[in-house]
Amino acid sequence: MAALIQSIVIQILITVIAVAGIYVLTGLTGMFSLGSAAFMAIGSYASGLLVVRLGLPVPVAFVLAIALSVLIGFIVGLPTVRLRRDYISLVTLGFGEAIIALLNSATTLTGGANGFAGIPRVVTLPVAIVSAVVVVALVAWFKTSKYGRQCIAVKGDELAAKAMGVNVPRVKMIAFLVSVAITSFAGCLYAFYITFVDPSTFGWKQSAEWVIMVFFGGANSLTGSIFGALFLGALPEVLRSLLTGLEQYRTIIYAVLVLLIINFKPSGVFGEWEITQLSPKNLAKRRARKAAAKSKKGGAQ
Amino acid sequence: MNILQIVQILINGLALGSVYALIATGFSVIFNVLKFSNFSHGALMTLSAFVGYFLAASQGMGLVPTILVSMVCGALVALLGELVAFRRITVRNSPNIYFFVSSITLGTLFEGIVTIWVGANFFSYPRFFPNPTIKLGDLTISTSSLIMFLLSAAALIILAFVIQKTKLGRALRSVSFDRDTSSLMGINVTRTIQFAFIVSGALAGLAGVFLGINYTLYPTLGSLVVKGFIASVIGGLGSLPGAVIGAVLLGLVETGLNYAGTLQGFGTSYTPVFTFLIMLVFLLVRPRGIAGSNIQEKA
Repeated sequence: MAALIQSIVIQILITVIAVAGIYVLTGLTGMFSLGSAAFMAIGSYASGLLVVRLGLPVPVAFVLAIALSVLIGFIVGLPTVRLRRDYISLVTLGFGEAIIALLNSATTLTGGANGFAGIPRVVTLPVAIVSAVVVVALVAWFKTSKYGRQCIAVKGDELAAKAMGVNVPRVKMIAFLVSVAITSFAGCLYAFYITFVDPSTFGWKQSAEWVIMVFFGGANSLTGSIFGALFLGALPEVLRSLLTGLEQYRTIIYAVLVLLIINFKPSGVFGEWEITQLSPKNLAKRRARKAAAKSKKGGAQ
Repeated sequence: MNILQIVQILINGLALGSVYALIATGFSVIFNVLKFSNFSHGALMTLSAFVGYFLAASQGMGLVPTILVSMVCGALVALLGELVAFRRITVRNSPNIYFFVSSITLGTLFEGIVTIWVGANFFSYPRFFPNPTIKLGDLTISTSSLIMFLLSAAALIILAFVIQKTKLGRALRSVSFDRDTSSLMGINVTRTIQFAFIVSGALAGLAGVFLGINYTLYPTLGSLVVKGFIASVIGGLGSLPGAVIGAVLLGLVETGLNYAGTLQGFGTSYTPVFTFLIMLVFLLVRPRGIAGSNIQEKA
């Protein structure tokens, strides 16, 4: 039982990392990638192959795999960041299908549709927890940095952002590459936890599921996106323990939940709210502001 | 490689391209009106192809009833999808990203329904034609390719006529150009959007049946919609003639690549990789596609 719970927790943490990557792209910048799972595939296959075939140490393999993903992401992003945002979704969708076709056909290297097995298991619960915390903290820092603010400006109105001096293609490219690096890292962790990868896990539906998680919690809030990943990641397990057979309705339940949210609370469960607003410093600030407003009112009367 | 083989590739490419053209135009009709990429289109194709299979083809009915059932199903489901997923967003004038999420969600919903309904099994349509091939002199043409080409071409010609010559078509073009002004001019925008979804759904149904005939029926058949997306990117997003041109080109290129791949001995499995690279190069060199102009975000 404890082992089962541990395995569920690790997989949910890997999902949290991937969703943090999607948040940078979709939540912050307003772009959609339906090929994020393909970058996860590149991360897991590249790191797995480097360790199993070339005998490289695991951390080096992780770094090389992420670097490879970022390089490929740069090539995919280059023609698309200057265009309407639709293009990045369409191009990444095509990219995802191409990567799956490639993984399926390069049988000597990847094992094809049978998958690639024999990756050592090095990811344990502490590793997963530390990775998730570090990635989420990095994304939170990115959001408050100069680039994060530029991303939000691009999402709000590209033309206005351009008029304010934001280099729109560059900001879009940075957000895309950050997102690619994080999803690829999630792929590395996935490969070295599950020890087996096959192309069918990385279809566009996986990417779509992550986007759904981001929007469920609130596309404008990192807290909300992480909540979405935790909640929707844990939901199937809860459903499974409630009633066997309910689990197959998972995607349908996801979809209905998100359609309800889009229709009736489009900003997601959390809206713009971030958990950092609960920190003592911010609370004190807010209290001071309230007090100031009150005294002003009193003065007017 | 002689002249006969080239003609053969051309014919097969045209047939494949015409099916892609159905997908690409169905996608572009919605893109024109609401300015978003409808990612539920693929799953809608699967759903209507399966409904056609279970209600008509498996009951022993022929090709025409199957196609009709699928088209009607596609139109009805698209209409329902518009009501459930897009109506409130349209009325509220929400940003583009909500349309994206809604369409992706709707797509996963359709695909989930199909998966639960049929399981992960493969189905195939019964043989609709007594003769699988037609001989024209030295040429051998597969009957299904020929029928696909003729029916797709007919559907596209009817669509072009409706959009160019009828009142509804004019309303559609006007709403595509500017929703608010059209509404001020007395056009019922909601009805027109519904009409666009009916057209797109019917095209999805037709394309779904053809894909089912060409390959087999399986719950993730809809991912072939990516061919339609690539075609409309090459042709120019939002342009219907561009979508058709792009689709035919893609069909020809794919058939040629498949042929070359088989000659070289690595089969057809690398074709998606090459078509993706072609799209990437196309976007670098001529981002607005063959006929489109919708490339940058408007204010």
